[in-house]
Amino acid sequence: MTTGQTPQHSTGRTPDRTEEATIVTDERLLDTFVELADTLTDDFDVIDFLHLLVERCVELLDVEAAGLLLADEHGHLRLMASSNEHVRVLELFQLQNDEGPCLEAFTTGARVSSADLGDAATRWPRFARAATVAGFAAVDALPMRLRSQVIGALNLFHAHAGALPATALRSAQALVDVATIGLLQERAIRHQEVITEQLQTALNSRVVIEQAKGLVAERLGVTTDVAFTTLRAYARGNNQKLGDLARLVIAGHASTRDLLDSGVARPKQAARQRRAPKPE
Amino acid sequence: MTSADGIGPGRRVRAWVAERAANTGRPVSMSVLCETAMLRLGISGVTLTIELPAGWPETRHATDGLGARLAELQLTVGEGPCLDVWPEGGPVLVPTLDEAAIQHRWPMFTPLAVEAGAGALFALPMAIGTIRVGVLALHRVRAGHLTAAGVAESLAFAELALQLQLDQQAGPRTTEAAGLQLHAPQVHQATGMISAQLNVSLKEAFSRLRARAFADQRPLAELAADVVARRLRFDTEGGAS
Repeated sequence: MTTGQTPQHSTGRTPDRTEEATIVTDERLLDTFVELADTLTDDFDVIDFLHLLVERCVELLDVEAAGLLLADEHGHLRLMASSNEHVRVLELFQLQNDEGPCLEAFTTGARVSSADLGDAATRWPRFARAATVAGFAAVDALPMRLRSQVIGALNLFHAHAGALPATALRSAQALVDVATIGLLQERAIRHQEVITEQLQTALNSRVVIEQAKGLVAERLGVTTDVAFTTLRAYARGNNQKLGDLARLVIAGHASTRDLLDSGVARPKQAARQRRAPKPE
Repeated sequence: MTSADGIGPGRRVRAWVAERAANTGRPVSMSVLCETAMLRLGISGVTLTIELPAGWPETRHATDGLGARLAELQLTVGEGPCLDVWPEGGPVLVPTLDEAAIQHRWPMFTPLAVEAGAGALFALPMAIGTIRVGVLALHRVRAGHLTAAGVAESLAFAELALQLQLDQQAGPRTTEAAGLQLHAPQVHQATGMISAQLNVSLKEAFSRLRARAFADQRPLAELAADVVARRLRFDTEGGAS
């Protein structure tokens, strides 16, 4: 269900990593930036890009799950990418339109953390309960900023209580900034109109993915999270953009018939092969 | 995006349209919406085009001749902001038409639009993922940016237009005050599932979902969650409304 590594000790994340381990992480962080930058071609797929980013968050920051939310014009936080598409995890993101660290990070523009969700029952009664049930013990939310504007938030979930180490926080902030750059591609200072064009297009792209997930889930008789994994594995296996594949599936295009008919409901192998090896 | 009056753009726009309808003694309609957008957003005119099944847009409302002309021009030359909202379903906002980059982007449309007297054109898709309903186009004879609040309100006008259009196609009934609840992902997942269950288009599936929510007097997102969790199907007897 999750791609995060199991912490080596039951005490959870180790704040005092060895210097060697930090260097390895730094190298992997650099690799990730190169990988993400490579993705930013002229017609890259924004959802694919953000998924890669949240997956790398899980690996590099040693967290259980990561999700990226963008605000729409109503100020609703909408999920763009999650390292874990399980319905219980997705509900945690949705719940944060009422309460939770992402909503706070979005409204205040500051990082919001809870090192122990057991202490957050008063602060976020519903969120803390749901997160605990889903198996999480600590949470961080980092705002996505563009100058003075907050456009969304990165949400990190941890299986064990404890604060995220300072180095990991710095890396997380760098990854959030990369996400912002990816979403709002042009570098020049731009007016609200250009930002809105790009954010709204990204939001609609995610809706297309959700529609395709539902369609594939029903055709293959699987859950929506399996449908998503299937779509993503198929897109990668066929060197296709996720958004393009979703549109082809919806249009009932012949080239996606093998996905729907033969039921490539065995995407795990492909997904695993693609995933970078875990650092030792 | 919530302004000083403490309410978001969605509720603000709904209140404006309702107020305009009441003041002019008419029911809420697409023409009332277009007029309200024109008056409230400080623009010259509003044009509404609807996507027809054949793939051609049809102009349904234009508050002035220039709007109708711009819609017609884009169709004639086959390019322009209102066409570029597809296939991605994102807005195309052009505060200054008479500009080299814009001339370069739409070499045929831009000079004709400027000659016709347009300074700015803001094209807002009425879309839900791959469901294309229409385009709400705002134009101004002067070039210039929309304010940040104006951008959010323009999107809210387009979303309300989307809802009105879907209601119109579904037959007479009350428009939900809560809006379309498009932020809930299960609504779109359920739409995909229903489309597969009934072998109908996503647009039709979404319409069935809304009709059922309306008939059952339940929030759309809640009903959609039942579909996704497979507690409710639309292809079994009595399942569809």
